Amino acid sequence: MIKAQNISFAHRKFRILDQVDLSVGNHELLVIVGPNGAGKSTLLSLLANETESNEETIFFKDKRFSEWSSKALAVHKAKFSQQNNADIPLPAKDIVLMGRYPYFNSSPGREDLQVVADMMKATEVAHLAERNYNALSGGEKQRVHLARVLAQLQNDIEHKLAFFDEPLNNLDIKHQFNILNTIRQFTRKGNSAIIVLHDLNLAAQFADNVLLLKNGKVVAHGRPQVVFTEAVIRETYNFPCTICPNPITKNPMIIFGIQRNSNT
Amino acid sequence: MRNKLTIYLLSGGLALLLLALISLYSGVYRFSDASVWKILMQGLSNPAAIAPGDHYVLFSLRLPRMVMAMLIGSALAVSGTCLQGMFKNPLATPSLVGITSGASLFAALAIVLGAGLKAFLPEMLQYSLISIMAFLGAILTMTLVYRISNTNGKTNIVIMLLAGVAISALAGAVTGFLTYLTREEQLRDLAFWTLGSLGGASWVKNGILTVVVTVSFVLLINKGKALNAMMLGEKDAAHLGIPVEKLKKQIVILAALMVGTCVAFAGAIGFIGLIVPYILRLIFKSDYRIILPLSAILGSILLLCADTVSRTIVPPAEIPIGILTAFMGAPVFIAILVRFKKSM
Repeated sequence: MIKAQNISFAHRKFRILDQVDLSVGNHELLVIVGPNGAGKSTLLSLLANETESNEETIFFKDKRFSEWSSKALAVHKAKFSQQNNADIPLPAKDIVLMGRYPYFNSSPGREDLQVVADMMKATEVAHLAERNYNALSGGEKQRVHLARVLAQLQNDIEHKLAFFDEPLNNLDIKHQFNILNTIRQFTRKGNSAIIVLHDLNLAAQFADNVLLLKNGKVVAHGRPQVVFTEAVIRETYNFPCTICPNPITKNPMIIFGIQRNSNT
Repeated sequence: MRNKLTIYLLSGGLALLLLALISLYSGVYRFSDASVWKILMQGLSNPAAIAPGDHYVLFSLRLPRMVMAMLIGSALAVSGTCLQGMFKNPLATPSLVGITSGASLFAALAIVLGAGLKAFLPEMLQYSLISIMAFLGAILTMTLVYRISNTNGKTNIVIMLLAGVAISALAGAVTGFLTYLTREEQLRDLAFWTLGSLGGASWVKNGILTVVVTVSFVLLINKGKALNAMMLGEKDAAHLGIPVEKLKKQIVILAALMVGTCVAFAGAIGFIGLIVPYILRLIFKSDYRIILPLSAILGSILLLCADTVSRTIVPPAEIPIGILTAFMGAPVFIAILVRFKKSM
């Protein structure tokens, strides 16, 4: 699906990313985690072709981004960005409809409107369809944009890729799980998703693979059981923690603030 | 949505047509035959049959002026709407951002420096030269203001407006100086430049305007979707397949072309690009898919209205049209500022 070799990125001589290798396959849900300033968002925006890197070493479906047309890219990949607080005086449904812009010329078809309605249902904002976007709460705005990004990738193309930069900000627990479930369903259909998350327990529960970044370098990359080990997490976050298997799912469960005295 | 837009466009077109007829009737001169329609038809088929006075007033004064009002109103409104979409702010309009002043300055330069050439060039070429210069002035100021006020795809509105003020002041000073120095009649009339007038309408100017407006509209009028997406931010718009950089270049060049040509022929008619989108936004929210095509019609209606009023309100004199547009525009400006203050 997407392959990146040896990507580095610097902003005014300050290294943000340092030789990161990464590849995501079909059906895969990759979660990028790491402390503040690790370069997570930068990595995501490089992978999503937002920021141009000096060397073109990112291959999306075996082609460089420069070999794609912008129209084709818009139906193969989509990105949910972090700062979506702009002033947009439109009803919420018109914002979700923007996700269908790559599919129609001057007026949306019946299918486009159906997709908009479906996605608004999936992110639980259907009841806000006619409300003015500017009057929505932070969490509601967030879900409207998630619906827009999901609507953009509703098509018959196989193996699509979605990027999410901290999609769970401002969301309550129910919506957090709902959104992650929706994304997981999306990947079950042969698609891939790359998500930047802060909550390690959610990452452990939903990710197929986890990429742990610190200071622009990959600390660990692999299945949650491999990445989430006490020593690695304690070292990376510079904070005491304990990891035990989740009693129900058996995925790793990270408890911060408590340290086991196993060594003594 | 498609059908609704068609209905709005059609009813707008009808209103414009009605207004056009009223505008042809109104004025100090009274036609000998009461029916303008009849004179119009006769004038086209058999010009000799109508009174020369009627013919002159209708075909050389009112008709070209009416057509010019419609073209300029439309051009200014559409460039205003497009600029607002590009700057992502309802205050970005040709006059507030200083583009009109920049165009005036270059047009004045062309008139003063081109005075010597006047005898040798055909009328068409003279006017084309002035409008090309005005276009250069417009594009220069627009690029400057955008560069100054934009960082990382975000516009700093305060900087944008202040840059507009600064450029307007500079251009105003130079234009004033040129006006003071020159003996050129067109520049002599300072009111023409600062407040705008459609008094100089002619078929040659209308011809150039028609070409400019047609080309610009063909390329811009269907950009509603793209401008909507721009509200998400330039990066998110790019993810939706919108060629952001190309779109911005198109808007800059075509808006400068339209504003430049309008300024060259009718002086600085302010606020049309502010009022028209504002009214449309009140009704249709900020959906550029609707307000962009409708602004073309509403711009025509508004300027034709203003022009008709300006030449009938104090007969036999005529008040500069810019006074009327400023009367309408200033309250709108204040209303937007008040709302802007709330959202800060």
